[in-house]
Amino acid sequence: MKRGDLIGGGIFTALGIFIFILTFQFPSLEGGHPGPSLFPRILAILFIFFGGIIVLRGLRAGKKEPESAPAEEIPVPRNYFDPIFVFILIGAYMILSNWLGFFITSTLILFLMMIKLRVPYLRSLVISILLTLFVNFMFYKILRVPLPTGFFGW
Amino acid sequence: MDFVLHGLALLMAPKVLLIICISSIYGLFVGAMPGLTATMAAALLIPFTFFMDPVPALVSIVTMSAMAIFAGDIPAALVRIPGTPSSAAYTQDSFELTKQGKAELVLGADVIFSAIGGLMGAVVLMSSAPLLAEVAMKFSSFEYFWLAALGLSATVMVSRGSQVKGALAMVLGLFLSTIGVDITLGYPRFTFGSVELLNGVDFIPAMIGVFGVSEVLRNVLEGEMSYPITRVRAGKIFAGIGGLIKRYKINVLRSGLLGTFIGILPGAGADIAAWLAYAVSKRSSKEPEKYGAGSLEAIIDAGTANNSCLAGDWVPALVFGIPGDSITAIVIGVLFMKGLRPGPMIFERQPEIIYAVYLAFILANLLMIPFGYLAIRASAQMLRVPKNILMPAILMFCIIGSFAINNSVFDIGTMLLMGVVGYFMEANGYAVAPIVLGLVLGPILEQNFMISMIKSEWDLTLFFIRPISAILGGLTIIVWFFPVLATFLEKAKKNNSVPVQ
Repeated sequence: MKRGDLIGGGIFTALGIFIFILTFQFPSLEGGHPGPSLFPRILAILFIFFGGIIVLRGLRAGKKEPESAPAEEIPVPRNYFDPIFVFILIGAYMILSNWLGFFITSTLILFLMMIKLRVPYLRSLVISILLTLFVNFMFYKILRVPLPTGFFGW
Repeated sequence: MDFVLHGLALLMAPKVLLIICISSIYGLFVGAMPGLTATMAAALLIPFTFFMDPVPALVSIVTMSAMAIFAGDIPAALVRIPGTPSSAAYTQDSFELTKQGKAELVLGADVIFSAIGGLMGAVVLMSSAPLLAEVAMKFSSFEYFWLAALGLSATVMVSRGSQVKGALAMVLGLFLSTIGVDITLGYPRFTFGSVELLNGVDFIPAMIGVFGVSEVLRNVLEGEMSYPITRVRAGKIFAGIGGLIKRYKINVLRSGLLGTFIGILPGAGADIAAWLAYAVSKRSSKEPEKYGAGSLEAIIDAGTANNSCLAGDWVPALVFGIPGDSITAIVIGVLFMKGLRPGPMIFERQPEIIYAVYLAFILANLLMIPFGYLAIRASAQMLRVPKNILMPAILMFCIIGSFAINNSVFDIGTMLLMGVVGYFMEANGYAVAPIVLGLVLGPILEQNFMISMIKSEWDLTLFFIRPISAILGGLTIIVWFFPVLATFLEKAKKNNSVPVQ
C-alpha cells in the first residue's frame, strides 16, 4: 500500500516535471505573456506538489512498522484473475477486429474472458455468440455503426 | 406555457416514450446489480445518446439515473450489499429489517420515498433553475472561471479517501483536457505528432475507460459472489405506506430539501446526500438507538435524500455548465456533443429542452412506482444473473461504445489507457470521478481564465474586484483549506487512538 504511494506519487511528480519541461517549447502571446504554456505549467507544478506530498507520506509510513496484511483480506472467495488479461483482450480487439472482422473477434474475446471466469466451455461459446449478435443488433442495426468486417467480410 | 406544452410534446413522442421505458429497465437492472454503479450505467449509455436528438438523450439519462439510484436499495435490503454507493448509508438498517421479516415494508418504503424525494427534487429544480439562470446572465468569464474552480475544488474536497489523491486525479483530468490545439494561439499541445490528438482526448472513450473498464476489472477480481436471497411477497409491498408518509412527513420534507441542496452544490452527489441525511436523521430522531439495527426512519430519510439529490445535481449543470456530480459531468459532455452549451442562454434559446428535462424528472419519478414494483418482484431473478457472463458483456459494450463515436480504433486505445490508469489509481486509493470532472471542466476553466486575462490585459485583481466574482473566489479559497483542516483532524484522531472508520 505504501509502496504504491511511493510509486504513484513518483509517477505523478515525474509527469509534472516532464510537462513543465515540455511547456518551454510552447510559443508566447504578444508582449511576452504566457499563452498556451500557462495552464499546463500550473498543472505541472500541482502534479509535482501533490505528487511530492504522496511520496513523502509513503516514505513516512514506510519508516513505521510494516502495514498489517489482514486489513486487505476480503471475505468473498477470490478468483485468480489478472487485470492484465483484460487489457490484453482489449488490445487484441484493436488489432484483430480489422483482420478477422467484428463477429469472430467479439465472439473470441467474450469466449476467452468467460473461460477465464470459469464458465463451462459450451455455455461460454453459446453465450458469446448470442452476445455478439446482440451487440451487432444494437450498434449495427439500430445505431448504424459500421463495425469492422475484416477479410471474410463478416 | 407554450414551452411547457412544447416540452411535453417532445417527451410524449412514441419514440421518446419507448426510450424512457428502455432506460428505466436498464437503470433498474444496473442499479440492482451489486458492484455496478449508476455512473457506469451513464457512461455506457452515452454512445447510444450520441445517436439520439438532444431531448431523448437527456431524458434517457434522467430516467436511467433515477431508477438506478432507487434500485440500489433492492440488494441492500435483500442481500446486504448496496446496489450503488448511494444506498450504502442505510444498507445495514435495510438488511436488519429484512432479517426481522419486514423486507416488503423496507422495499415498499424505498420505492415510494425514492419517488417522493425525486419529485421534490424536480420541484426545486423547476423553481430554482430559471431564477439562477437570470442571475447567471450577468456572469462574465471571471465568474465562470471561479465557478469551474469552485466545482473542481468541491469535488476534490468530497472525494472518497485522501484529498491529496483526489486533487491529483483532478489535475490529471485537467492535464488531459489541455492535450490538443490550444485556444489562444492554436498551438498543438502534447500531441507528439499524432493527428488524432489534435482535437484533444475524446471525452466519451476516456469516461468509458475510467468508469466502465475499471469497474469490470474491480468486479472480476472480486470473484463470483453467491448469497442467499430473501424472497419477497410482492402483494404486501405497499401495505401501510400511507401511514408512513403521514408519520414521517417532516422527515421527508427535511431530507428532500437537504438532498436537493447537496445536489445543487457542485461536486457532491447522491451518496453524500444519503450519508448526510442519515446523520441528520439520527441526530433528530426520538429513537437514535435503532440506527444501524434496523431503523425505518433512517431508510426513509436517506432514501428520500439520495433521489432528491439527482434533480439538484442538474441545477448547476444546466444553469452554469458546472456538474453537480459525476453523472451530470457526463450530461455536460453530452450537451456539448449535441452542440448545446449549458448555461443561462439555453434557458432563453431552447427553453423546450429545459422543460422536457423538468417533465422527464416528474415522469421518471411517477413511473418509478410501477416499474419499481416490477423490479422488486423480479429482484430474485435479477440478483441471480451471473457476473462471469455479465462482465464480459459489459466489456464488449465498452469496446464497441468507444469505437462507435468516431468509428475509430484509436478511441478504443484511449479507453484502454484510461481504464488501466483508472484501475491502478482506484486500487491505490485515488478517487477517479475527479479525472472526468477535470476533463470536462478543464477547457471551461482555461478558456475563461485566458479570455479574462486578455480582456483585462493581465490584470489579476479583476478576479477579486467584481462583486460576484469576489464571492465565488472567496468560497473557492475557503474550500481549498478544508483538506488542510481534515488532515489536522485525522492526525488528532490518530493521536487520540480513536478507531476511525
